[in-house]
Amino acid sequence: MNNSFDRILTGLIATLRQEIIPKLEGEFVRGQAYGVIYMLEFLRLRASWSPAFLTPQLEALDELASALAAIPGFPAAAPRPLPATSSPTEPDAMEMLRNAGDDQVSQLIDWLGSHGGSLDRSVTDSADQAVRTYIRRQLRHEIQTSARPMFAEISLGKEEEKTERQ
Amino acid sequence: MASQMERPKASPAYQDSGTLERALAVYLDQQLGRAVGVSGLRRFAVGFSWITIGFTISAPGIGGCTELILRLGPADGLFAPYSAAPQFFALRALEGAGVPAPRAFLWSDDSTILGAPFFISELVQGEAPIPWGPAGGMPEELRDRLGVAFTDALGALHNVEWQSSGLATVGEEITVENAASRQLEEWERNYLRWRLRPHPMLHYAARWLRANLPTAPRVSIVHGDYRLGNFLAIGDRITAILDWELVHLGDPHEDLAWACLPQYRAGTKLMSRLIERDAMYQRYHDKTGIEVDPETMRFYEIFSLYKLAVTHMAAVSVFERNDFHDLRMPAMGTQIAPVLRQMEKALEALA
Repeated sequence: MNNSFDRILTGLIATLRQEIIPKLEGEFVRGQAYGVIYMLEFLRLRASWSPAFLTPQLEALDELASALAAIPGFPAAAPRPLPATSSPTEPDAMEMLRNAGDDQVSQLIDWLGSHGGSLDRSVTDSADQAVRTYIRRQLRHEIQTSARPMFAEISLGKEEEKTERQ
Repeated sequence: MASQMERPKASPAYQDSGTLERALAVYLDQQLGRAVGVSGLRRFAVGFSWITIGFTISAPGIGGCTELILRLGPADGLFAPYSAAPQFFALRALEGAGVPAPRAFLWSDDSTILGAPFFISELVQGEAPIPWGPAGGMPEELRDRLGVAFTDALGALHNVEWQSSGLATVGEEITVENAASRQLEEWERNYLRWRLRPHPMLHYAARWLRANLPTAPRVSIVHGDYRLGNFLAIGDRITAILDWELVHLGDPHEDLAWACLPQYRAGTKLMSRLIERDAMYQRYHDKTGIEVDPETMRFYEIFSLYKLAVTHMAAVSVFERNDFHDLRMPAMGTQIAPVLRQMEKALEALA
């Protein structure tokens, strides 16, 4: 997920209040919609992205750090993710750690692009392979933890009996 | 808990239809030197970025048109801040060139007039088939004819002699040598501007793209978002290509590659769900004389995925940073990972 948990809840509440409730007819239906807003406000106070989503991402970073450290002759000057020295359980701290790790991986890719020519080919190939494995793993995890897309419904404003997956 | 939308704030003119109608009438009266009688403002629910508003003016209208379209680039839009100049100059360059596009009449980047940069064009009739429709879609025969029209319109666009148009004055000089690098640099800047977190895959792709920059066969007007969903049609006739906000000068392969993105094939083997790749290339070559280069197409297909991922990041960013509550934005953001996965697979296939 890319937007923050709090911002998505704020957007959901605003959309209900500004776009949906004014067009709803009937006290009961509007009451239900306000009930949704109330419960969303509760979620905002008590919930956040799940550690179950973030933990595998931090594990993948750790494994990449180990894989890079195991490459003979891997240059000390190269930026790289380092093995975690702490294991936060708070989602915000975990997300910061994931982002810091991804920043280091991004810097490593850029560094290999500008310095790779001066390194032994086997070193750059091994580093590239480790990075690609990491990227594949992270993307697969993000996709596996995503809901079925509903862009047909979003565009058409109605739910078809059978729609194509994007 | 107080919600953000409860804060009072000044609204731009276009957010209130009465205010907009009055401001538009004042502007048109001044431009045309007569009272034009603006009426019938209605907002179209299309696009994620520019606001599209239809309206009517009294006869004799502008350019013989009394039914017009106002396009506004809002300050909180997807790619803001906007200028209307590239779109206006591009549409003017297309007049009489055999490209189905609305005629543009007036423009301004002065936000004090209507609250945002804008241009005014004719209203063109037609319906926009969308790439996410239910299974089945249009009849095969109609689809085939529309696929040919879709390719012909692209060929006509890339044949336009733009050198003497206002478009030649927008931005820096584009050559066959620098067209690819300029686009890559622009979208790398956009990535840095809109990302809310680092995406290693985009660094990996940018490295590959920098190492494989092609030379363009010519410098053409590039639509920038040429695909199913961005044109109007009546039957098998395309009446207007729409959404010119990413228009620029560049390599014509760029539009072809964008139209071939898997996102617009709806699970079929048809480019933009309309035409097979080989048939499209052949028809395009017949219309333009350009031999479609497979290596250049590979570059621009990877580049198109890069651009699409960054566009989704813009949606995430605009939702996260503004009081702009359109829930289509975070929904688009959920598609970053699938786009990056396609990019990774495409690069793997090239290895």
